[in-house]
Amino acid sequence: MERGILSVGQEFPKFDKTAVVSLEKGKEFKNITSEDHKKNGEWLVMFWWPKDFTFVCPTEIAEFNKAYSEFRDRDAMLIGASTDSEFVHLAWRKDHEDLRDLKFPMLADTSKSLAEELGILEANEKIAYRATFIVDPQGIVRWVSVYDLNVGRNVKEVIRVLDALQTDELCPCNWQKGEATIEV
Amino acid sequence: MIDVKNDLINDLGLEEGFMTPALEKLLESNSKYLKDLRINLKNVLTSEYLSEKETALIALAVAVNNQNKPLESSFSNLAKEKGATVDEIGETVACASLLSSNNIFYRFRHFVGKEKYNTLPARIKMSIMVNPILGKEFFELTSLAVSAVNGCEACVAAHEQSVLQHGSSEERVLDAIRLAAIVTSLGKVIN
Repeated sequence: MERGILSVGQEFPKFDKTAVVSLEKGKEFKNITSEDHKKNGEWLVMFWWPKDFTFVCPTEIAEFNKAYSEFRDRDAMLIGASTDSEFVHLAWRKDHEDLRDLKFPMLADTSKSLAEELGILEANEKIAYRATFIVDPQGIVRWVSVYDLNVGRNVKEVIRVLDALQTDELCPCNWQKGEATIEV
Repeated sequence: MIDVKNDLINDLGLEEGFMTPALEKLLESNSKYLKDLRINLKNVLTSEYLSEKETALIALAVAVNNQNKPLESSFSNLAKEKGATVDEIGETVACASLLSSNNIFYRFRHFVGKEKYNTLPARIKMSIMVNPILGKEFFELTSLAVSAVNGCEACVAAHEQSVLQHGSSEERVLDAIRLAAIVTSLGKVIN
């Protein structure tokens, strides 16, 4: 039996994986864990693509990179991931112009264990669907989207959802008669 | 936080290294508010109900009303970039200036509420209101936004009604008001 896709309200699985974080020699790799964002009180936005060195992917990854500061301003840790190894990630980053100055880590789920736990492995090739997860600072999945292998994502929509999930209108000015007072 | 500040300055097209005493204090204290401010600005400049040219023009009107030089130049450049003509930009500046006089005048009448003041003529020239090149609805919307900033109750109520009569929507109105609010808050830090 195949595992279903991890959904809203469930805990994001624990992980400890190698990621490519730089092109600088000796500083290419870094371990990233499921605890990193929680420690900093940050949200986690993790987006997956099926395979390195393919077409739709770099466009999409570059779009996420362009919006990097948007995620930073919303206190969200942005991570890109696929089931390719860290060496493939590094080679792809070196090879592709749009990927050279990536500001977020490329996670290598080489054992496919995380993709498996998330329930986003495609049955035939065992590669990840284009899934995006928004995880709150407590480690709970708050939003998931899964696209078929060839469908690109809309980064603006991810930011819109993140905005909607993060609390606003904390100001007592918004208090309306009959409502409980706002406690921050 | 210096990254956020630099990005904000860059978003506004201001000179690298632009600094104000208020910005300095936010940076010194590593205030998270800079992130909120940048998000708020980005959000109000891209609205579902206002075009990017319209948001840039309303932001310009508010910057002019608030006598904020850096924001005035930033938003007039943005308006140009989004396709506003020299005439449209001029009209927006005129609208902001005229409305600040009207806001004081009608606010006085409203404050005092004496019939005599309502019957005496206003004697303020408002010919630019007759046939605005930006269209009546948008001119009214800009007027409403400026009036909200200046806190004239009578003007806000009158322009809100008028803008809806000219085919606007409550969604457009609230987006314009939010924009005016955020540009004003931005001006406390960037000035």
